Amino acid sequence: MELELTDEQQQVVASVRRFVREEIAPLEADLDPDASELAPEDHERLVGMARSMGLYGLDIPEEFGGPGVDLVTRTLISIEMAQHRAGLYAPCYGVFGGAGLAQLYEANEDQKERYLYPMLRGEKRGCFALTEPSGGSDPARAIRTTAVKDGDGWVLNGEKTFISGADRADFAITFARTDPEKGRNGITCFIVDTDMPGFRVRRIVHTLRSSHYATELEFDGLRIPSANVLGEVNRGFAIANDRLSRNRIPYAAGCIGVAIRAQEMAIEYVKHRETFGDVLATRQAIQWMIVDNEIDIRTSRWLTLDAAARAERGESFRTEAAMAKLVASEAGGRVVDRVMQIHGGYGMTKDLPLERWFREMRIRRVGEGPSEVQRLIMARDLIGGSFH
Amino acid sequence: MKILVCLKQVPHKDARLEASGGWIDEGGIKFEINQYDTYALEEALRIKDAGEAEVVVATIGPDRTSQALRTALGMGADRAIQIWDDSLSGADSLTIAKLLAAAAKDESFDLVLMGLMSDDANNSLTGPMLAELLGLPHTTGAMKIELSDGKAQVERELEGGSLQVVDLPLPCLITVQTGLNEVRYASLKGIMQAKKKPLDKKGISDLGLDAAAVASKVTVDKLYVPTKGEGAEILEGSAGEVAQQLVGKIKELGLL
Ligand SMILES: Cc1cc2nc3c(=O)[nH]c(=O)nc-3n(C[C@H](O)[C@H](O)[C@H](O)COP(=O)(O)OP(=O)(O)OC[C@H]3O[C@@H](n4cnc5c(N)ncnc54)[C@H](O)[C@@H]3O)c2cc1C
Repeated sequence: MELELTDEQQQVVASVRRFVREEIAPLEADLDPDASELAPEDHERLVGMARSMGLYGLDIPEEFGGPGVDLVTRTLISIEMAQHRAGLYAPCYGVFGGAGLAQLYEANEDQKERYLYPMLRGEKRGCFALTEPSGGSDPARAIRTTAVKDGDGWVLNGEKTFISGADRADFAITFARTDPEKGRNGITCFIVDTDMPGFRVRRIVHTLRSSHYATELEFDGLRIPSANVLGEVNRGFAIANDRLSRNRIPYAAGCIGVAIRAQEMAIEYVKHRETFGDVLATRQAIQWMIVDNEIDIRTSRWLTLDAAARAERGESFRTEAAMAKLVASEAGGRVVDRVMQIHGGYGMTKDLPLERWFREMRIRRVGEGPSEVQRLIMARDLIGGSFH
Repeated sequence: MKILVCLKQVPHKDARLEASGGWIDEGGIKFEINQYDTYALEEALRIKDAGEAEVVVATIGPDRTSQALRTALGMGADRAIQIWDDSLSGADSLTIAKLLAAAAKDESFDLVLMGLMSDDANNSLTGPMLAELLGLPHTTGAMKIELSDGKAQVERELEGGSLQVVDLPLPCLITVQTGLNEVRYASLKGIMQAKKKPLDKKGISDLGLDAAAVASKVTVDKLYVPTKGEGAEILEGSAGEVAQQLVGKIKELGLL
């Protein structure tokens, strides 16, 4: 097994690392501690730099004009891009291009023209509306939002919750039940324009994450043309599932990036902070925290790179992606927690990025499928059968 | 226009260093391109971007240094020369300059650029020595370089913040200060193409040199971190008391 990065990967990583340290992190000194956006002029300038680095639109597939980075390199880049205060949910403040809603790559040509390309050009924003008040872990059963055929279109009724960024989105990839008898084979995916009559953002749901809000949505007799069905009728769940699995890899990578940065901060701090006449670095209790951090980081990193390598080779990677997501999000939480402890009172302040990471990292154990659901996915793969 | 950029790979600025005999223990530490040299490279690439130039990068160092050359190629240099022989470990500045001179002598470079000094050894010798061996006019510590009509106009920083402007005819050799320009980020395309660019590996005899003739004359006896506290006297008390004591000491030692 090849554990060495190629020369090219090392160079790309070094380049992105320098970009984050020299271009992104210094700007954060003048931003609100919870900011998720740069000043427009900074954003534009850095997008220009990202373009000249050839790394703009990282998630755009090569056939759509993206840079065509393989998944392992992409994962390494994600690990680097998260190494600043907003890095978990706004890696590099989006200057490498918006993360495309992956489901749109399954769209037909007309839909790509209307949604995917404008999104890749940064002209439209989307959101992903799967979770409902009735539950997010098992959406195939929980989805109550209905879509009923009416003439040439469909009529949607129902509600969604925890939908990130819907208040600022132009469209919502929405999952609704189209055949109540067929369980997971009765769910259809729609592209709902947020200005369609009957679409409403009911309220903002305040969570540990103070920016990039989650919202509650309502669909009240919303009429949508058949041209806005994404994929096939009653086959929407497959779209959700496949892409959820793939998203777990960059999701894990973000957690690792933050953990790496936190660990660097800890190592720096313990060498200088003195208590009881000597630096913290000499205390075994502290040394072990640093070692445990490193074990957490390395375990997460290899699991995540392994999942990425399998996906790149076209092998099945569902178990590996679930394992990476589970381990990286839980390990990331432990690392940030230990590093806060090492920093004492300063660790609690908004002068350091730790408290933001701490809050946001906690969400990572629930978002994109909670830890329990990751275990359930792995158990199905390991034990087999269709118990669930 | 043909430009040579000499660069050195030095321990990464965050690397944890342990002294081992006359040098550091290189096992397990990361290396990077000497910071001063990245500015020299950037300056060469800017000249290339502005007109036409071939940029050649050269280094003297073991296998690991090909990574530094690949990075330079990824940033836009056209080809690279790596010179090494195990006998060169710990080589002094003159040896390095002799090897670089041998590599450069048949290439007729119009301009040789390099860092003012290396972040690790801090000698600032290689540039001027190389210029002498190649018979080139040279200047050091450039803060600004402008080329026109076969000459280079160079602004140099002197002590106390004053600037000196010097003119040199091409070909010439210039060593540069940090901050002379803003060093670019390698592009993904550049990085991917770097592998296809030529990287020549040469030994001492490939350069037509004899190992004995280039042998180092300087040897390093010892490298160590001075122990903290030795020879220091710590003054204690309030700020006022400490200041009093300090003035007393200065007078006592006749330093004023
Ligand atoms: C800040 C934030 C942003 C979000 N953004 C989005 C978004 O943009 N789009 C979107 O669609 N969703 C989004 N979500 C929703 C998220 O995906 C769900 O919260 C998640 O899937 C869990 O669903 P639930 O909250 O309904 O918990 P439930 O499904 O009710 O589960 C409750 C708990 O029980 C556990 N559990 C469930 N089943 C089992 C089992 N079989 N065995 C053992 N334990 C079990 C779960 O792990 C969880 O801990 C977001 C959530 C948050 C907090």
